[in-house]
Amino acid sequence: MYLACAGDACARCGRRLRNLMADQNNHDSEHCHLALMPSGRQGKVRRGTNLLRAAQDLGVELESICGGRQTCLKCQVIVEEGLFPKHGISSSAAHLTPLTTREMELSQGQRLEGRRLACAAEVQGDLLLTVPEESQARKQIIAKAASDRVIEIDPAVRQVYVEIAPADMSDPRGDWERLAEALETKWDLHGLSIDVKALHALQTALREGNHAVTLTIWQGQEVLRVQPGYSEGLYGLAVDVGSTTIVAHLCDLRTGAVLATQAAMNTQVRYGEDLMSRVSYATTEPQGLARLSRAVILTLNELAEKAARAAGLQPVDIVDAVIVGNPVMHHILLGINPRELGGAPFALAVGSAMDLKARDIGLNLNPSARLHLLPLIAGHVGADNMAVQLAESPHDQDEIMLIVDVGTNAEIVLGNRQQVLVASSPTGPAFEGAQITHGQRAAPGAVERVRIDPLTLEPRIRLIGYDGWIEPGNADGLPEDVKATGICGSGIIEAVAEMFLAGIINASGLFEESAAERSRRVVYHTRTGEYTLVDASLSATGAPIVITQNDVRAIQLAKAALYAGTKLLMKHRGVEQVDRVLLAGAFGSFISPVHAMILGLIPDCDLDRVTAVGNAAGDGARFALLNRGMRKKAEALADWVQHVSTPLEPSFQDEFVAALNLPHARDPYPTLEDILPVQTAPAARRHRNRIRDKLGA
Amino acid sequence: MSEDIDITQLEIPEILELIQDDLYDGLADEVVASVRELLRRGLTPYDVLTKGLVAGMDIVGADFRDGILFVPEVLMAAKAMKAGMELLRPLLAETGAPQIGTMVIGTVKGDIHDIGKNLVAMMMEGAGFNVINLGINVDADKFLNAYHEHKPDILGMSALLTTTMPYMGVVINTLKEQGLRDKVLVLVGGAPLNSAFAEEIGADAYCRDAAVAVVTAKKLLAIKRGEPAV
Repeated sequence: MYLACAGDACARCGRRLRNLMADQNNHDSEHCHLALMPSGRQGKVRRGTNLLRAAQDLGVELESICGGRQTCLKCQVIVEEGLFPKHGISSSAAHLTPLTTREMELSQGQRLEGRRLACAAEVQGDLLLTVPEESQARKQIIAKAASDRVIEIDPAVRQVYVEIAPADMSDPRGDWERLAEALETKWDLHGLSIDVKALHALQTALREGNHAVTLTIWQGQEVLRVQPGYSEGLYGLAVDVGSTTIVAHLCDLRTGAVLATQAAMNTQVRYGEDLMSRVSYATTEPQGLARLSRAVILTLNELAEKAARAAGLQPVDIVDAVIVGNPVMHHILLGINPRELGGAPFALAVGSAMDLKARDIGLNLNPSARLHLLPLIAGHVGADNMAVQLAESPHDQDEIMLIVDVGTNAEIVLGNRQQVLVASSPTGPAFEGAQITHGQRAAPGAVERVRIDPLTLEPRIRLIGYDGWIEPGNADGLPEDVKATGICGSGIIEAVAEMFLAGIINASGLFEESAAERSRRVVYHTRTGEYTLVDASLSATGAPIVITQNDVRAIQLAKAALYAGTKLLMKHRGVEQVDRVLLAGAFGSFISPVHAMILGLIPDCDLDRVTAVGNAAGDGARFALLNRGMRKKAEALADWVQHVSTPLEPSFQDEFVAALNLPHARDPYPTLEDILPVQTAPAARRHRNRIRDKLGA
Repeated sequence: MSEDIDITQLEIPEILELIQDDLYDGLADEVVASVRELLRRGLTPYDVLTKGLVAGMDIVGADFRDGILFVPEVLMAAKAMKAGMELLRPLLAETGAPQIGTMVIGTVKGDIHDIGKNLVAMMMEGAGFNVINLGINVDADKFLNAYHEHKPDILGMSALLTTTMPYMGVVINTLKEQGLRDKVLVLVGGAPLNSAFAEEIGADAYCRDAAVAVVTAKKLLAIKRGEPAV
């Protein structure tokens, strides 16, 4: 622990303490000294700085999902009291602005336990803070790897080798003009232009190559690169900019091979977890948009650098790139303020595919490298969804395919070669662990899989980062450092589905009082139930990890929004059932199909035909990188697919309410016939018939 | 279900209790039958409303707040309440029964989330309020027009997006400019909000959910009218 002296009586550090006191006397009143434990990072911050910001400035990322609105309660910190000579800090809770109304409410509900919300407090004096483990933003587990699918290689760039006659006093034309002539006669390439950055290298290359050069040409229109002599090597980058994760695939454009895949967390997360928080940030903060753009460009450049290095190349070797992302990511990347995407009618600034120079947005690839952005479909359905469609091709199928990309905003694609419909549905962040008592993002220590014994109600769990099932009641033989830190999205889905199967909750989502008689794991706080998934002994915080009634409700709301959107598309398409279900996105890869169905997240379908397709958006971006026909295809598809604004549909509310039940109030699930518990719906609904009971009716 | 007991054989307190239970279970026909029976016995429409329907919806509200009842059950209860209310409404007007209050509610401009706001509207109706639901994407003009037309005691605004919630402040400022702010209680709600935000924009209260909205509305209205707090 930290050496804390109650006064200058401390013999060991008396001298330093006196120095400290002296320091404080001529203390710069504008700045305060801040230290954060356990990382030990410290530094000066301006008095009045918001604590969440101050921590960020010192390089300590705190969890923040709501973007500083005192809603998610993830950014809790502990103020250490006293003098800390080692750090030269006299820390006190009074060195922060007083508790806000919201914090006082929370304290009364005992939800803060003396901690402060970093986002709610401003620095007023020197502070030493402890950041509890659950408040530390963790490094993400990246679960996106390129799948190996076969597509035709026809990239937008190609290389040609040309020899020209040496310069001659009798021919006054420039080297480029003579080169252009050679391209016309030898390669039948007419009307080419040359990028100004490529022009810089032209004469040197001609000299070095002894009048022979290899040109890299984009779409038969523009010379991007001039290399001396004969040269081989064409590389491109396909990127999926997700709001949480960014994944880049470095590809050999001649073979289609993925040479390296690099992923990183989208550092925009520090300005707000969900998309709308970032739109708010871009709209309300003077430097907001610039910061958001810079964050993503910086990350893209790092990924390009890392991927190139992993493949033994340089970023300068990358001559083409395709980037996909949702509309907000797309606009921010282009430096367009996403303000209009923050509210109805969610107007896009631009929806068509775009061809730019990578340098236009600040990417450090080859100076002349091209950048292609796939088209967007609607205000909430972006180029990432277009990429998913390219990768999975519902438009080429006879059978009805459903693709759900689960995230804070779920995208739903439904259809076949006759017609494809798309919609987005506001599922909220519950599937990503927000709004769940012990929810967290997928990171080491998170509960990712759950099984509950229907007789004993004892769980078995799997943790990210530990290979094997764990019985939380029996931690014997487990390594010391194997501890559960919380529950991630796939974990909470399995947990709620298993609780339903085991009779801990009923079809309406309500805890069953009878379960409390069956197991110590189900307890009632006043009137609502709670299930202990992980005992204190196996929990990283030392407190048990539980699933509350409200957690179940949050999952019900999220899954109902998704299902209602799907159902409305099915109605539009005139189909009663789907033939295939694809779960897309990093999260989708981890959802167990049967549990998703038990929960009613997806409609009934043969379980063999429900599959996870991983990062389909990244795959689609790769296809568009390797095959320029795919870019044309995407443009045609963007016009052809039909967007349905599901929340505006008159029957949305009715469908949403019916979908709150597990798995559904009225839609049948024949596939689950032998799996689901026997329904006692009327009994579950009628709680209070005092008079009827009395009269024995 | 209603044929299995004969409500004409029950005492009035028993029928009131039955209404409350049937509301809880969302049994609209049974609620209507009990309302009819109580009126036949000579109870005033106002007593049937407050001691039967409103009392029943109070229980529903409390259990919703505690997570015991969920949206589908509450909607069923609200539908049953509405069925009983349709019978009572003309009679209440005829008898000049005291008004519980009027509320104008809507989801603010730019936001198309409907369901949570509808739930609040229904729970407020369940508490006996006359509710005018303006729907979604409602701008300040529309709120103001509704104010002039209905002279509500309460103005309710909902927003589910962090990007649309600031518009609530725009509506409140418009009320202020027109000198109307003190004439109406402003309640706000929606997932991204909290009480700090409500305070900041100058609303009277933030309501976490539909049940809290009802309790808050009643409490603040009583204070405003100088009545003892309920």
